[in-house]
Amino acid sequence: MQWFPAGSALPLAALGAALAPVAAQARIYVSVEQAQREMFGALALTPHPVALTAAQQEVLRAASSVSLPFQGNRIWKTADGSWFVVDEVVGKHEFVTYAVGINADGSVRRVEVLEYRESYGYEVAEQKWLAQFVGKTVEAPLQLGRDVQNIGGATLSAKHVADGVKRVLAAYRLVLQAR
Amino acid sequence: MTHRQAVGRYDWNQYRTEIEYGLSDDFQIGAYLNAFSIRAQDNYLSDEVCATTPCTAGFGVPGTASSGGAYRRSGIDGASLEAIWRISNPVTSPVGVGLYVEPTWGKLEDSLEFRLLLQSNFLDDRLVLAANALVEMEREKYDPANGIIRNSMADLLYGASYRFAPRWSAGFEGRLHTDHDGYRFEQHTQTANFIGPNVHYSAERWWLTAAWRHQVGGSCYGGGTADCSLGHVWDSHGRDQIMLKVGYLLN
Repeated sequence: MQWFPAGSALPLAALGAALAPVAAQARIYVSVEQAQREMFGALALTPHPVALTAAQQEVLRAASSVSLPFQGNRIWKTADGSWFVVDEVVGKHEFVTYAVGINADGSVRRVEVLEYRESYGYEVAEQKWLAQFVGKTVEAPLQLGRDVQNIGGATLSAKHVADGVKRVLAAYRLVLQAR
Repeated sequence: MTHRQAVGRYDWNQYRTEIEYGLSDDFQIGAYLNAFSIRAQDNYLSDEVCATTPCTAGFGVPGTASSGGAYRRSGIDGASLEAIWRISNPVTSPVGVGLYVEPTWGKLEDSLEFRLLLQSNFLDDRLVLAANALVEMEREKYDPANGIIRNSMADLLYGASYRFAPRWSAGFEGRLHTDHDGYRFEQHTQTANFIGPNVHYSAERWWLTAAWRHQVGGSCYGGGTADCSLGHVWDSHGRDQIMLKVGYLLN
C-alpha cells in the first residue's frame, strides 16, 4: 500500500514567507533560528538542556508511545517561562525533525516541522494541519482520528508527529514545568 | 527467479511490470504485464516423469522435451489485474488487515489468487511483522499434449522486517506452500517450506526490495512422487527463489 496519490502539492506557501523554507526534491528545511523567530519574535531564548533518567524516559515512552529516547539537548527557555523544544520522530523512511513552542501555561504555542524528507505527505509540514496542536496541553489525547486529523497517504508521519508533540508536552510536565 | 532443481539446470524466471493506483486511502488497483523465460536441462530424477534419469521437466517444460536435452523458451506470458482493499491500517490499529485479489491470464497458465493480508507494527513502526494467507486456483496449459491441468494452492507467507537505519530495512520471510489437484483442493499433492532473508531500500521516489527464499524441504502426497526427489518439491519450485522488486513513484 505504498502508492497512494500524494494529494496536494508542496505546502511552501502555507509555511509562510517569513520562514523562507527551502524545499527541493521532497525536502523541507526550516532552521532552528527561523522557527524560534517565528514562534517568539524578538524574545530572547536561553539554551536549557536537560538530562533524563531511564525512568523518566520510560514515562515519556508510556505517555507518547515513541520508543526512541528523548534527546534533552535541544531545549530553550524564554524569560517569560515559555519553552522551545526540538525533537525528532521516525518518518516513513527518514526522521522527521520538528519544533514545539510551549507557552508558560503549558499549552502549545506553535509546532513547526524543520526537516521532512519523504516523497509525499507534505501536509504534515503545513500550518493548516499543524495549527490543530495550538492550545493543546499534556491532558489532550493527541490521537490520530480522535483529536488529530489524519492525512491520507501520510498516516505514519501524521501519527508520529502527533505522538512527538505528545512526548514534548509530557517532557514539559515531567522536567521543564518546575524549572 | 526460481533456480536449481534436483540436478542439471532449471531456471524459471518471471518478469512482472506493474502499475498501481490508489483510488482512495483504502483501495488500490493495479495491472501487470507478465513475461517469462525458462531454461531447463536434465533437472529431474523422478522415474515417474523420466524414461531415463536425469531428464528435462518441471513447470513450463512440455512432456515432449523430457528426453530432448536442453529446453529454452521465453516471451510475453500475459497480464494480471490486482485489487487491494485495506480494512484496517497497521499504523493506527494493532493489526492491519487487507484483502487482495489477482486474476492472471497467461500462455502458460491462468490463475485466480486471493490473499488475506495481515500486518502488525512495533517500535515506532520500525519493526513490521506480516503474514499473508493465500489461495490460488490454477489452470496450467503449457503442455498441449497433456491438456489442461487444474490445480489449487494454499500458502502461508510470513516475515519480519526491521528498519535498522533511515531508508534501510532487513529481515526474513518464509513460505509454507501446499499444492492440490483440482480447483477445490481435492487432493493434497505437495508441501514445501521456504525461508530466507530480505532487504529493502527506499529513496525519495523509488525503492528496491530483494529477497531470497531457500527450500528447506518438501514432500509429495497422494500416491504421486513425480515432482519430488532428494527431500524437495520441484514442479514449478526450485531450491532457491530470488525476488527483486523495484518501484518508482510516478505522482
